[in-house]
Amino acid sequence: MVERESPLGQAYKPGRHGNVAEAAGVTLSETRPGSIVEVIAWPGNEKTALAAIKSATGLALPDRPGAGVSREGRAGYGFAPRRWLVIDDREGAARELHKAVAETTGVINDLSHGRAVIRIAGPRAEWVLSKLFAVDFSTGAFPVSNGCSTSHHEIFAQIQRTGKNQFDVVVFRSFARAFWTTLCHSAEEVGYEVS
Amino acid sequence: MRITCPYCGTRDVVEFTYQGDATVTRPDPASTDQAAWNAYVYDRANPAGKHSELWQHSGGCRAHLVVERDTVSHVITSVAFAGIKPNPARTTTPKRKSPARKAATRGKAAS
Amino acid sequence: MSGRRISDRGRIDRSRSISFRFDGKSYSGYVGDTLASALLANGVALFGRSFKYHRPRGVLTAGIDEPNALVTVIRNGKREANVPATQLEIHDGLVTESQNRFPSLAFDVGAVNQLAGSIFSAGFYYKTFMGPVVGPLRGTRFWMFCEWFIRRAAGLGRADHAADTSRYQRMNAYCDVLVVGSGPAGLAAARAAADAGKNVILAELDPVPGGSAKWSGETIDGKPAAEWASGEAEALSDHDNVRLLTRTHVWGYYDGNTLAALERVGDHVASAAAGAPRHRHWVIRAGTVVLATGAFERPIVFPGNDRPGVMLASAAQRYAAEFGVLPGKRIALFTNNDSAYVAAAELSAAGAEIAAIVDTRQVISAGARDLAAKAGGELLLGQAISATNGGKALAGITVQRLDPVTGTASGAKQTIPVDCLAMSGGWSPAIHLASQAGAAPKWNEDLQAFLPPEPAQPWLGAGAFAGDTTTADTLRSGRNAGMKAAGGRASRAQAAKLDAPQLDPFPAPVFEIRSAEGKSGKALVDHQLDVTAEDVRLAHREGFLSVEHLKRYTTLGMATDQGKTSNVPGLAIMANARGISIPEAGTTRFRPPFAPVSLGSLAAERFGDVSPDRLTPMHDWHVERGAEMMPAGLWHRPRIYSLPGETLEQAYVREAKTVREGVGMVDVSTLGKIAVKGPDAAEFLDRVYTNKFSTLAVGKARYGLMLREDGLVLDDGTTWRLGENDFLMTTTTAAAGKVMQHLECLLDVHWPDLKVALTSVSDQWAGAAVSGPDARKVLERAVKGTAVDNETLPFMGIVYGEVDGAQVMICRLSFSGELAYEVYCGAGHGTHVWEALLAAGEPFGILSYGMEALGTLRIEKGHVTGAEIDGRVTARDLYLDWMLSKKKPFVGSAMMDREGLVDEDRIRLVGVISLDGLPLGGGAHIVEGDSRAEPNESIGHMTAFCYSPVLAKYIGLALVKGGKARHGQRAFIADPLRKRYGPVEIVSHHFFDPEGSRIHG
Repeated sequence: MVERESPLGQAYKPGRHGNVAEAAGVTLSETRPGSIVEVIAWPGNEKTALAAIKSATGLALPDRPGAGVSREGRAGYGFAPRRWLVIDDREGAARELHKAVAETTGVINDLSHGRAVIRIAGPRAEWVLSKLFAVDFSTGAFPVSNGCSTSHHEIFAQIQRTGKNQFDVVVFRSFARAFWTTLCHSAEEVGYEVS
Repeated sequence: MRITCPYCGTRDVVEFTYQGDATVTRPDPASTDQAAWNAYVYDRANPAGKHSELWQHSGGCRAHLVVERDTVSHVITSVAFAGIKPNPARTTTPKRKSPARKAATRGKAAS
Repeated sequence: MSGRRISDRGRIDRSRSISFRFDGKSYSGYVGDTLASALLANGVALFGRSFKYHRPRGVLTAGIDEPNALVTVIRNGKREANVPATQLEIHDGLVTESQNRFPSLAFDVGAVNQLAGSIFSAGFYYKTFMGPVVGPLRGTRFWMFCEWFIRRAAGLGRADHAADTSRYQRMNAYCDVLVVGSGPAGLAAARAAADAGKNVILAELDPVPGGSAKWSGETIDGKPAAEWASGEAEALSDHDNVRLLTRTHVWGYYDGNTLAALERVGDHVASAAAGAPRHRHWVIRAGTVVLATGAFERPIVFPGNDRPGVMLASAAQRYAAEFGVLPGKRIALFTNNDSAYVAAAELSAAGAEIAAIVDTRQVISAGARDLAAKAGGELLLGQAISATNGGKALAGITVQRLDPVTGTASGAKQTIPVDCLAMSGGWSPAIHLASQAGAAPKWNEDLQAFLPPEPAQPWLGAGAFAGDTTTADTLRSGRNAGMKAAGGRASRAQAAKLDAPQLDPFPAPVFEIRSAEGKSGKALVDHQLDVTAEDVRLAHREGFLSVEHLKRYTTLGMATDQGKTSNVPGLAIMANARGISIPEAGTTRFRPPFAPVSLGSLAAERFGDVSPDRLTPMHDWHVERGAEMMPAGLWHRPRIYSLPGETLEQAYVREAKTVREGVGMVDVSTLGKIAVKGPDAAEFLDRVYTNKFSTLAVGKARYGLMLREDGLVLDDGTTWRLGENDFLMTTTTAAAGKVMQHLECLLDVHWPDLKVALTSVSDQWAGAAVSGPDARKVLERAVKGTAVDNETLPFMGIVYGEVDGAQVMICRLSFSGELAYEVYCGAGHGTHVWEALLAAGEPFGILSYGMEALGTLRIEKGHVTGAEIDGRVTARDLYLDWMLSKKKPFVGSAMMDREGLVDEDRIRLVGVISLDGLPLGGGAHIVEGDSRAEPNESIGHMTAFCYSPVLAKYIGLALVKGGKARHGQRAFIADPLRKRYGPVEIVSHHFFDPEGSRIHG
């Protein structure tokens, strides 16, 4: 098996950065999951598609805009009408979902190489993300496991809250380094750790 | 301006792309009626006040939305997914000024 | 420190002394001081010179409304001009300079402008410099001659040319209730909303919350108001649901209850913490806004009202009470209302001698009389100040009887020596944000002020902003606004216990004092731009009657203070000149920003990095191999991989030759790729492409052309059928986003019945195009799991295999005109596969090539790209009409045959060969005659050019009138910008291998 290269290159610099006067406000990392798969249902087939996702991955995604599930090593959420994103630490989820989703139900797209997942965790995660995205990240408006689609200027992003103080940001691979650099820059104020 | 996307919720207008007038109807693809195609591609009413517009949530869920908006006050009265339900506004042909009305407008301007 | 400092007043920290510089001299102040308060404490009265006349100026206000005391701050060698001294907090190491003076503030040669005052009156620029040249001293040419001198002599601070190294950030915020202003009203509103459980943001432009409570001297709930305010602020900061933003001015009120605010994070500290911004640009989306922005005191317009030492009564009171500085030792007050009496009493209590209180009114309230008695000094009713004297600082005032009907001061003169005059012309609610958000403001005759308009967005007003005149009313309306904003109901109950004198809340309608003697000195309306009352009357005489014309003709209300102190007096003087009421004369409509905003804060994190870099999977490989990278939209692509000493042309010619003679490889990962899937995918493609795709076999690709609805070409590219209902569409790099939106719109809006799903997969795949006669040999060595011979992989065929353990998908198609293959793999394997292909190609001398060689190869073949598909061409213009299916309608088919689009004389695609052996130029015009001397009519333009290694000539593509009909003709290129003229031959755009035999090789 050929190892996948990270899109971050030299921009990925492990260690403490920015304001080091206090404890790191956030920790930044690239999660590098094995599978990133998009599931699309034809109109009226939403429930069938969700059942297929559950049978293939075990993720019981609620049928509400932006609703999702976040578990250790596996997560999913709705990010657009009739569309869900499934992220799995293991490779091969695309194959399983392709089998599970019938042609009459919808289609899937394997985006495992095409997207990068950047995790921001820590007490200042909401503060740092709020510099870049015009989305209300407070827990009331953005509960754990929910996801959304938004953008930072040209950079399209799908964001899931995977913990009280943790968000996974999915960006196009070609923009990953630019986004990572911007995110690091924005996190300097609170001090950050790259792990 | 902020638009309430039926899927994503209320977002800043920068996440959306204006995609044209939602009141025009695409003619039958096989139609060769040049007047109908011309009306669909070019004729626009440009009203000051209530207007029905297409906006794509291009920086979000990418859905196309029919937005009922006042072009003077920017007040948005409704947002719905495009193409889901037949929208009465979209099935009516655009009103074209009759020659008589045009003349009346000119007369008013001259007086 | 001078005797101006009081020992027992103010919120300054006397235990922490600060050293700072002003005009090269070192001064000291305390933590909590502004530059204005610290300089006043040091006995400095002269802060700068005025805009046009270079008149000496001091401080007029103590806040954000300051028009006069603007200074330049020098920080890390970088100059920031026009900072109000009243807003600038001092810190150790602060270096400041006064502005608009030469050679020094005390001795300024520009002050001679005062003598020539009447020349520089309203409309000076228009009258002197606009229009045709009629004499030696008129017209635009004269302006060009005078500009340097005038620019030096007039104006505010000078901008710096050095790059701004400060950091700025943007912050997106959401709240239930935004309270603007933290005076008594704002504090009460925030408290009420916070207690109701709402998420509250409280924005305060000063460093310390409290507003007027910090200096009013009132007693609230049995405590000094300042103490009450700090207690309330502390209580608020204990709430989890409250964010208190100090040093933050809300400057814009936009649609959707979106407000913009600027937080000055780092201006008050000597050096910023790592990563901390200097300014933070807040964009706040609020459920409800409570506007508690208070009111600005107005100056009175009278001769000599701009002499240093003349200031607003509230400012004088504030300097004493909030900063512990007496603005003068012997102070007179001049007023048309009761509020100045409070100031007089406070200043007196602080230790100043009150020389006199001059009131334009004959009769005043009992409360005011009591305060006057407390303050001491003469009480001069029905009188006015008609002149001031002194040089660069106030030495005395002249008082005369006021005729209340004409506003003229006349009769016996009484001269009173004073070093400070505190004036009050009434109060104007700070309605700026409400005005931005809604309709025109409403004039209130009692208050002689504009009150906020009816809300067009969800906001509530409170306090002096809404016209409240006592702190008791203010606290009640603040609390009620907070409760209503939280969804509750207002209450009539008293909000707090107040201990304040009973005063008349309404001012006399007096805005200007005119001296009976005529010329007695300039009476300034707009201190910042040197607009006098006479200028306003001149504008009236010359017909500039409307408030908008008045502003533009006289510049009244422009520049950094936006007329906070001058708008209403200016309007009143114009109304008086016209003999109409103030609301009839017009109302001021405010636009953002309320106060100056740093441009850096708007650029925020995009500073120095305007757009994100989009990188292909093999980006680092290219850079490490010395590729010269070039932008292609947001993408970075290799331009050439040059050898030492090679020119650009030598490099790309070598690379292109390698492809024609052996084999080369180029990174094509940037091509737009869209997954088109679903049972109706083939039908959908038939509708959007001009040619058919439903007939395409699985495992094959086809070149496709897309039109817009209007019949012009949108884009081209190949689409691969990977499965019965599974297509991979490729687009040109530049048009990927545009094509995606076009297709999404058709599906969403017009054909929602089609079961087709579109997803951008551009980034999923890394692509390498292997081209050249030896391409197949490279693949034979590199690819496992599939054959690549002509039978297994014919032209436009697709196979799947493995390259060094990584899965690949290979399509045989050619942009270069050679035998060529596009090898796609998962983007994360891009570099791995790229290197494996290069290793396999080593025996054949494989080279990577860049965009220049790619362009050269395609020009030789006559393939079109975005340079030709420029949104103005038809398929026929490009000789692609063979791709227009007659068997089906498609997007654009109905409109593509319109008369103007099928005209034979349109500019159409041709090839061009340079006849003088010199390079051609993109964008050059094609003309029929040699146009070096006299331009000929353009018959078209060049779209691309290169040196062609196979033809050994400079060639190019062009769009030329008539197209094919001109083949074999001679023409000329004309490129006046680059001074390139020369003869060319117009030929077919298929320069090389027109039969395409090499592709099938």
